[in-house]
Amino acid sequence: MAPSLLFNPAKLPPSEALQLAQQAPVVLQGSSSETVDQWATYENLLLACLRTGDDEAAAKCMDQLEARFGPDNERVMALRGLLSEAQAENNGELEAVLKQYDAILEGNSTNLPITKRRIALLRSMGRVSDAATALVQLLDFSPTDAEAWSELSDLYFTQGLYSQAIYALEEVLLLSPNAWNIHARLGEVQYMAATTSGSGGGSQQKYLAEALKRFARSIELCDDYLRGYYGLKLVTTRLLKEQAKQAKQTDDGEFTLPDPKTIERLDELATAKLSEIVRHSTLKDRGWRGYDEREVAAARELLSQNGIER
Amino acid sequence: MAQVPVQTIHRDPQLFYWILFPITIVMILTGVLRHYASVLMQSAPKKLDQKAIREQRSLLHGINLRGNFHALSKKSFATRRDALVTAFESGAYLKDPERAGQGQPNPLSDPSSMEGMMGMMKNQMAMIIPNTLIMSWINAFFSGYVIMKLPFPLTIKFKSMLQAGVMTKDMDPRWMSSISWYFLCIFGLQSVFNFLLGSDNAASQMAQQMGGMGAAPQMFGPGVDPDKQFKAEAENLAVIEHYSVLDNVEERLLEGITV
Repeated sequence: MAPSLLFNPAKLPPSEALQLAQQAPVVLQGSSSETVDQWATYENLLLACLRTGDDEAAAKCMDQLEARFGPDNERVMALRGLLSEAQAENNGELEAVLKQYDAILEGNSTNLPITKRRIALLRSMGRVSDAATALVQLLDFSPTDAEAWSELSDLYFTQGLYSQAIYALEEVLLLSPNAWNIHARLGEVQYMAATTSGSGGGSQQKYLAEALKRFARSIELCDDYLRGYYGLKLVTTRLLKEQAKQAKQTDDGEFTLPDPKTIERLDELATAKLSEIVRHSTLKDRGWRGYDEREVAAARELLSQNGIER
Repeated sequence: MAQVPVQTIHRDPQLFYWILFPITIVMILTGVLRHYASVLMQSAPKKLDQKAIREQRSLLHGINLRGNFHALSKKSFATRRDALVTAFESGAYLKDPERAGQGQPNPLSDPSSMEGMMGMMKNQMAMIIPNTLIMSWINAFFSGYVIMKLPFPLTIKFKSMLQAGVMTKDMDPRWMSSISWYFLCIFGLQSVFNFLLGSDNAASQMAQQMGGMGAAPQMFGPGVDPDKQFKAEAENLAVIEHYSVLDNVEERLLEGITV
């Protein structure tokens, strides 16, 4: 699918971002009459230009947006801040931008776009714990912000605080209970928590049981989701390996592992589906093209580790 | 067999150009004007301060937990519920905790709610004034005669609507007077405005009336006591019987998916 300036995917591959940014001269010289999609296009073009280092075109987009919506618009303020972050050449200039954000927030503490920019800037400057504190403050007065919760989860996750990351992800699920990617992400975090929790035995098993269920739910919601199958395969493989030393489970409101036969069948299902996805997307079959190549490669790797021929 | 003779009324063809067109054009122009007037009069939504946002979103947070608890495991649901119920009952999220339990504030004394009411008044006025003016204009200049014949037959019930101001008993209801043309324009120009101004225009009074009637009771509007809302929500949360969507998900998955 050709990239479009009307959408702003979270992860744009560099090649596609470049493709978008190269449309800048055409878009910027476009007709003067205002269309429905015009400003979304400008905003995404601005982001694509920043990503590819074309600060000049980005500044032009910024000027147009500012001329249309005025410098007091919260969203425009955030984009302006993003631009000055990108143009800052050393840490001192970044500090200046940060001071600017603080000044804006002093006047209007509910300016969410600027609050989020400030957090992102703190994080990219390496002040992770400051960023986490600011995020927690933001979430205290706006606990229905899924974006902020998932950012917080990611922050905790990079610091190895798995149970906090899990808590934040669960909040995201409360806001959008059918997001299969979040279910799978939660499964991934739980799997990693199980991997690092040492030989706790009980807690490790709890994490694994819930991870298994999260992956299963994610597949139930989207039955072609590669990451869901990948995670399911990981968990089942590990569970089958450790079957012998499974402790007796107690029912204290936690999820319990299904019986070994079910795990085996889930393992078969994940293997079959993964190899199907890998096969089809390697052949670039029609209808199987949407997968990220790196994810497919990782799935192939996993399958060959387990000694399964494609 | 005696056939009912077709009624013919000889009208000056100029009627068409001097009455029908002017009324239509005036109606369209007022619609467009009203749209732009209401765009101009619109005041930007009022900014809430941080505490008000906190109050509203915390309540929404509770409602979300109540609605989507099935995405959580029993333990994480229970911790959240306990925390929220305690906070809701103690009024920790209230904008001004000392006013808790004082009952409903008077909506008229609250300046922020007055503003909302003024906005509603303005909209109503923008609707009523031009309508009254046009109607009296039509009544003063064009009343008392028929101007056109509809190209389709109608039953007798339409007579009072279409021949308002003509008072001729035996006339076929297909004949219509200028005032009825005005009413037809009121009800029928919606699509014209949609075409001219886009679909979310403020020109059509019909849409506004519908909106006024069907609006759901406001959640955070004036006159609602947030403390009571929080207490009610705490009660709702406390009675939830937890189940999780993850219960038996493996079985469902194995039954549902075939490779």
